Amino acid sequence: MKYWKRRSAADKQRENAELGEEFVAGAWDTQIVGRLVRLAMPHRRLFLGTFAVLAVLFVLELAGPWIIRSAIDGPVADAITARGLDSIPFDSKPYINGLLVWVLVYVICSLMTVAMRYLEVAHLTKTGQVVVADLRSRVFSHIQSMDLAWFDKRPTGSLVTRVTSDVENLNEMFTSGLVTLAFDLVRIAFLLVILFTLHAKLAFVVLLLMPILIGVSLAFRGGARDAHRTVRGRLSKLNGYLQEVLSGIRVVQVFRQEHKVSQRFGGLLNQYLTANLRTIFLFALFFPALDLVVNGIQGATVWVAGADISSGELRIGVFFQFWFYVTMLLNPVRELGERYNVLQSAFASAERVFQVLDTKPSVESSMGASTGNGLVNGKAPAGNHVRFEGVSFDYLDGVPVLEDVSFEMKPGETTAVVGATGAGKSTLVNLLLRFYDPKAGRITVDGRDLRDWDLKALRRCFGIVLQEDFLFAGTVRENLDLGREDVTEESLELALEASRAELVIDALPDGLASSVAERGATLSTGERQLLAIARALAGQPSLVVLDEATASVDSGTEAQIEEATGNLLGGRTALVIAHRLSTVRNADQILVMHHGKLRERGTHDELLAKHGIYAKLYRLQFAEHSPART
Amino acid sequence: MLAAGVACIPLSSLGDIWITLMIGDALDRLRLGSDTAFLRGFFWLLMAVAMARGVFRYLQRWWIVCVSRFVEIRLKQDLFDKLVSLPWSFHTQSRSGDIVSRVTSDVENVRMFLGPGVMYTLGAVIMVPVSMAYLFGLQPWLAAGMVIPLLAMGFGMRALSPRLHRDSTAVQESLAEIGTRAQETFSGVRIVKGYGREEQQSRRFDESSKKNLGHQLSLGRARGITHAITYGAKDLTFLPILLVGGWAMIERSFPAGDVFKAIDLTFKVFWPIIAVGWMAGIYPRAVASAKRIEELLATASDVVDPPAPVRLANVRGELSLRAVSFAFPGAARPALENIEVQVPAGSVLGIVGPTGSGKSTLLHTLARLYESQGEVQLDGHPIRTLALADLRGALGYVPQDSFLFSDTWRENVSFGLERALSDPELDLLTRNACMRGDVARFPNGYDQLIGERGVTLSGGQRQRTCIARALARDPRVLILDDALSAVDTETESELVDNLRHAGKGRTVILAAHRLSTVRHADQILVLVQGRVQARGTHEQLLAREGWYRETWQRQQTQAELAAL
Repeated sequence: MKYWKRRSAADKQRENAELGEEFVAGAWDTQIVGRLVRLAMPHRRLFLGTFAVLAVLFVLELAGPWIIRSAIDGPVADAITARGLDSIPFDSKPYINGLLVWVLVYVICSLMTVAMRYLEVAHLTKTGQVVVADLRSRVFSHIQSMDLAWFDKRPTGSLVTRVTSDVENLNEMFTSGLVTLAFDLVRIAFLLVILFTLHAKLAFVVLLLMPILIGVSLAFRGGARDAHRTVRGRLSKLNGYLQEVLSGIRVVQVFRQEHKVSQRFGGLLNQYLTANLRTIFLFALFFPALDLVVNGIQGATVWVAGADISSGELRIGVFFQFWFYVTMLLNPVRELGERYNVLQSAFASAERVFQVLDTKPSVESSMGASTGNGLVNGKAPAGNHVRFEGVSFDYLDGVPVLEDVSFEMKPGETTAVVGATGAGKSTLVNLLLRFYDPKAGRITVDGRDLRDWDLKALRRCFGIVLQEDFLFAGTVRENLDLGREDVTEESLELALEASRAELVIDALPDGLASSVAERGATLSTGERQLLAIARALAGQPSLVVLDEATASVDSGTEAQIEEATGNLLGGRTALVIAHRLSTVRNADQILVMHHGKLRERGTHDELLAKHGIYAKLYRLQFAEHSPART
Repeated sequence: MLAAGVACIPLSSLGDIWITLMIGDALDRLRLGSDTAFLRGFFWLLMAVAMARGVFRYLQRWWIVCVSRFVEIRLKQDLFDKLVSLPWSFHTQSRSGDIVSRVTSDVENVRMFLGPGVMYTLGAVIMVPVSMAYLFGLQPWLAAGMVIPLLAMGFGMRALSPRLHRDSTAVQESLAEIGTRAQETFSGVRIVKGYGREEQQSRRFDESSKKNLGHQLSLGRARGITHAITYGAKDLTFLPILLVGGWAMIERSFPAGDVFKAIDLTFKVFWPIIAVGWMAGIYPRAVASAKRIEELLATASDVVDPPAPVRLANVRGELSLRAVSFAFPGAARPALENIEVQVPAGSVLGIVGPTGSGKSTLLHTLARLYESQGEVQLDGHPIRTLALADLRGALGYVPQDSFLFSDTWRENVSFGLERALSDPELDLLTRNACMRGDVARFPNGYDQLIGERGVTLSGGQRQRTCIARALARDPRVLILDDALSAVDTETESELVDNLRHAGKGRTVILAAHRLSTVRHADQILVLVQGRVQARGTHEQLLAREGWYRETWQRQQTQAELAAL
């Protein structure tokens, strides 16, 4: 167990690389600080308030020892002197009164300090949290505005981290980081000046010895950070292995290798222990070392002050005052190392947050496409005539998902898309909704390229029912109207009727006001589908995009869904990824996608007669669920 | 070690007090007249005491905290061994994330109490009474006056602690809500964007954020009060020093050195008192955690060796299931119902059926991962009467999820053995598992790291690695749980052949979704909803109408379609 040895740089690097820890070169990045200051600017009043509180508090803190000194060197010293003179009988009353005045001043000063201490924390918290709440909303909105290709590349968990722990970390930056650090430096400077005015020789001794304290603190900081990082890394390895073994517990047990994994875990535990021993060693060394330096400073102070105290040149009250101030001075110096580490982790978070804010979404309304209200040349899209013209697309370079797909959706017609898994059906939907832009070719709505329409205005024409028909936490009503201004009480009611979702609502305890658990967990699959259809209908869309759910539901619900689907599609232009026989049968045209290409098109009967891909697919996907088979 | 560490606590605390007293006495002495020799002597004595105190403090921390870490390691190892020994039924009921956090945070709570907790409390227990007793001896009124603010602080903190707890819980909850909102929006981004609901989501997010802000501010105020009380108490302790000390100095010439002692000791008892408050906070958590740990350690496994197991020397590999049923706790219908099968040694049994029909569960009962009803027999002995080591020693198992460790390929394949396999042994296994070409392409050959930190294997490669791992034990009964699904059809038939012939007379049990996998099996079971719906050979089952034929036709069509 070589916890006392410094690990070689190469060792450290290897371990850090293994852990994938990012190295932040320094704890200071001027550019980031600049941006942080700009973030803080709108809240400069709060910051100024904080500084004012800290300043007043500092003055009050200085006042306490000064009062004690004044009392001791004033009435108390005078009394002692007076008693020394045997000539007059000693009357302590005036001196006691003098002392009481100072006691009163001290009480007042203490009460004010208490108030300021309260404000120090409460106001500092407020300052940090207000700035952070602001930033959090901005980061959230920004992430939301990113295109789907960007989302595809990032796990949701890491995005959530940006608006939770990273932003929280920045709070530390504003409070214990920048503000406190800045103020600590001011305090240290002021205290040094005051110490010099009190007693230059003593102050010089303190100033001379202080670098040792700073040195110890900073040297420790480096070691402690490394050691902590190693501990964290090894702990996560340990937990990772535990998780791994738990997920493979069947293999472990059937292969009877419990002892083997236990030994392996023991080995990891030992590594973790060694890393811990190093931090314990550092801390066990650091605190006494720091105190030793402080005691040294104190001893030296007494030594140097000795002659002056004896000669009466240094009054005892001043010595006390000096002692208090030295204590006040040493605390922030001690904590420098700690602050440095806080700053460093906050900088890492700031970097990640700014990285997100600096990325621009690639799918955006084109510049000048619209006049603020979403109109193009004073026209809103009618959104009922769609054309795919030679559209190609890939999610990953070199892996084409769609190749040269062209078709037309005439106003009021239903286009059903069928194909095996991975044929490119969902991609058609993704492109039509402009979640992505095509790599080649173009899609037009009302004869105009999708990219030229205002994104919001365009999407307002759509009614969407997707597979992952998502319900948000909140009431059923909120989920249905989604805050759309154009959803009225009337349109909602009509939608519920047409979608057969009335029955679902009626069965809920509080009707429309019932709350939906996250991801619609309290509703059955069929009920969620009906609600999703109602949601689409409520917006009175001109263009419907429907990805039919494949999950099976009972026959009663099936009939309801069929009817609801009919009502949704009736008279509207619609693109449907069809999984239901009735849908393909009633479609005006069926597109058969295969390996990213549009291979067949026509009506149900035409395609069946061809005995091609559709005929096979039909047997595979629809025939067995078809009541018409009998 | 713990005792030695504890013994260091009073030594270092008393050293600390001694330093204060020395300085105080020196001040009084100096007022009578300066003396270089005295000063020099004073300084070096002070440094010596400080040094000794430093050493004791070092030892105290080192020993006590180390002991707490040893306890942590021990607890973690015990918990790990326990978890590994618990049956599969325990693991299916608890999420592994929960268990990991229990092992981590509960053990940490206990450790915090045993290590730093004990250390700080004992420190305070020495420091505070001794300092107070000394000051009481100097000036009873002064000491009494100092105790009041300190007590007031203690009570104030106690009164505030429910509010602090409430506020910080509220902050945590509202932070969690923010996380949930973000999660919801980011994972439902298609609907959000599709309906152009970005603004609404932002508004809702802001609401949660505002709520959090409110709780944060409330917590900030509570912390502010705590902070004010703590430091206010400290400031007020100087009040009796000033009042009583000053008064006494005026009346009876109370020496200035004693005033110094009172001041300096105040600084020194302050932190230990706060530490005790902190300790009072973590104690209940540590107790609760210790209880949970004990509970887990006391969980009994229902899958254990029988008291007098039947020893099996040479396993033939004949399996028979008699009226085997199994239901998951709380499940509405049984996962397996009345399964009857005879599997002669050396034959191949195929198990097919729709998802959720009980295929995996049936395989689990064979390995006694679950305790089932009815009887499973190996070579005519009920498996409950066999030692687990004998039963499982006879089995080779390839799990459905193709679980592999992030380790080298060699280590993974050698997992079931006590030693690492040699290259020639691995050559044979790779041939039988149809893995030769793949391994040849690994940059580091057999010693290639796989998993997160190494190369990522394809689904088929993972499955074949798992097969190699099972074959390495040369088992008499080989169980494959849909373990060929990602292997292409050509390799599949070669593999199935190898599995049978490589281990002369080996019994093979194949569960599969793809019917081509079991095509050549001696006997095929069709499981539907936990019951045997049909059985027979491939040809027999095809001749009958039913799930098997229908599925076979669909899968054929699918294959044709994919080939277009």
